[in-house]
Amino acid sequence: MEKLKNILNKYETEYVEDYKSNWVKAKLKNKEDLLNLIKDLKEAGVKTCSTVSPTDFIDDNKIEVNYFLENLKDKKNVWLKVDLPRELENCEIDSITPLMPSAKWHELEAYSTYGVKFKGHPNLRYFLISRDYYGKFPFRKDFDWKAHEKNLIENVNSISEEFFEEYEENEETFDKEGSRTVLNWGPTHPASGPIRLKVYVNGENIEKVDADIGYVWRALENLAERKDFIGTIVAVERICFMDNPNPMICYSQAVEEIAGKEITPFAKFMRVILGETGRIASHLISMGGFFGTMGLQTFLMWCLDVREYFLDVLEDYSGARIATACVEPGGVRYPLNDYKAWFETLNKAINEWERVKDDINDIFLKNPLMVSRAKDNGIFTKDDVEEFYLAGPIARASGFKTDVRIDEPYAGYGELEMDYVTCENGDARDRLFIIVKEVNQSIDLIKQAMKKIEEGVEAGEMNPAKDHLVRMPRRMPAGEAVTRVEWARGEMLMHLVTMDKSTSPYRLKLRAPSVNHTMVLDRLISGKTLSDIPLLYGSMHICQGDLDR
Amino acid sequence: MLKVLDFFNYARSKSPWIVHFCSGCCSLEMLAAMGPRYDWERYGYIMTPTPRQADIIFITGLVSKKILPALLRTYEQMPEPRYVVAIGACAYDGGPYNDSQSVIKNMTEILPADVFVAGCPPKPEAIIAGLEELKEKIKRGEPSASSQGGLWKKMKF
Repeated sequence: MEKLKNILNKYETEYVEDYKSNWVKAKLKNKEDLLNLIKDLKEAGVKTCSTVSPTDFIDDNKIEVNYFLENLKDKKNVWLKVDLPRELENCEIDSITPLMPSAKWHELEAYSTYGVKFKGHPNLRYFLISRDYYGKFPFRKDFDWKAHEKNLIENVNSISEEFFEEYEENEETFDKEGSRTVLNWGPTHPASGPIRLKVYVNGENIEKVDADIGYVWRALENLAERKDFIGTIVAVERICFMDNPNPMICYSQAVEEIAGKEITPFAKFMRVILGETGRIASHLISMGGFFGTMGLQTFLMWCLDVREYFLDVLEDYSGARIATACVEPGGVRYPLNDYKAWFETLNKAINEWERVKDDINDIFLKNPLMVSRAKDNGIFTKDDVEEFYLAGPIARASGFKTDVRIDEPYAGYGELEMDYVTCENGDARDRLFIIVKEVNQSIDLIKQAMKKIEEGVEAGEMNPAKDHLVRMPRRMPAGEAVTRVEWARGEMLMHLVTMDKSTSPYRLKLRAPSVNHTMVLDRLISGKTLSDIPLLYGSMHICQGDLDR
Repeated sequence: MLKVLDFFNYARSKSPWIVHFCSGCCSLEMLAAMGPRYDWERYGYIMTPTPRQADIIFITGLVSKKILPALLRTYEQMPEPRYVVAIGACAYDGGPYNDSQSVIKNMTEILPADVFVAGCPPKPEAIIAGLEELKEKIKRGEPSASSQGGLWKKMKF
């Protein structure tokens, strides 16, 4: 920590201070210093950029760019701020992508939505937003959305034009002498979901992959600014329905931090149980999807069957299967009047997993077809993890020990026993194995949390019928917070900014892991053949919901 | 002759094929409806990867501006008679994304649906119940709502 502070103090800063246990927060005075500072930080081990998040302070006529830089090995992170003028011509800063490739798409996103130009970015272009917003920077506070929305149908037609233009482009790039072609993989491919990979092929060999995203862009970050602090839950939980409770936990923590409230121990362990249930539900789809992309549907059906039991748990608690809205700032939403009955449902789900666990191991994980296709295919090394910031299961499959639940414990995880689960090779098969290992770990955590609640109730310290929620103030004080959770598919980071006496968030940045995981597809798939695309794509466990937000 | 046509409609209603197209999160519940607990194949529904063989297209929840041309193009590639099932609140009026900048809110005007399934997201039972209703419509030989009108006819895609 001291080392990082010394580096930061070498430059002109407004302040350098500690933030939480493993962050240093600093504000840089001159934007010209940025590249040198990043170089120094990189030498000190901070090699990864988690995300780039601009905030538009229209009253002060400035845009503040936040960089979240992480040292994945030593878990010491830097939160760096730089002020930029708001005028479009001068809103310019050096790109850090040449030094930290993990920032590549995050900078593009900041450019498309806020108009922050990044000098020296390898390919600065509009990205993620739909074509009718090109050059309009829709997340700026003075963007007139209602006027834009008036001519909806014409706007929609302008998007079709992109379709046609690109269609012609593909035709033009046909090389008559060779057989180079641009193939569109998606957006309607059954294995993909709404994403399009432009695959440049020579015969069957893939030369380059270019991902086109934004097909489920819902502008959630902007949507959150139109809702109040409770209503934002609706936007936040819809990042991705596969793992529903964890994003809400992340957002609620940010609000609690700004309001200065502490939740009850009961709510903490409830968050563990709900979060892990969501993780298992997501992992079961990931596992099944992996086999589904190979055309083997049986395993998908097995997984969906087990998943239903875990959805029953969520349904029993909140009344909804996947859109649960079960966590809110201050704790968890509902009391547990009969906690024993709920635990019984939970135990039923756990037993269901334990029942099929061995069969899954014998029949599917040793499946010779899967092994021959996935083993030693699509390897990521530990350096790749740091360079491109692969998070969660993908990083752990390469043997990288990273897990927010241990590095920066939140909810009740600090009081539970857990260790990093890792695999070694980092190939596609390991990315399946790690998922199975994590489900087992989650079940262990759920059992521990259930025990803690039972003990607490017996000792009279917890009351499940009353302790679920702490009263939160309706109006928030001014402040900002950064929280992270370990989501099913990796680290999720939220940056919340509030104004004094506000009833809705001023800015909410959502950082989700699939962005980086899609960014590396080019590196992963190039040089392989066409039949590898679905398998390797499936092994990254990408969800378009959190890719586009 | 009439009897023969009736028979075709009857046969068509017994095994509707659904094109594999998802534009939003409700497709997760579609997946659950495919799964062992709900198992819509009992009723004769099956997913097909190509629109050329399909009878039904789902609007699974939200439709963003960028996916709309792809959705309409997929719809156009289906052979007549083709039916549209709208799943979830988003497919009706934008639902929870009604305030969002990038989601189509008047999907029903663009591509009118034959059956709406309410919910956010609707349960698999509800999806199957909605499809059963559509079966009756197919059996009666009624023309689909989207063939009668809708803004999609004027749009470029």
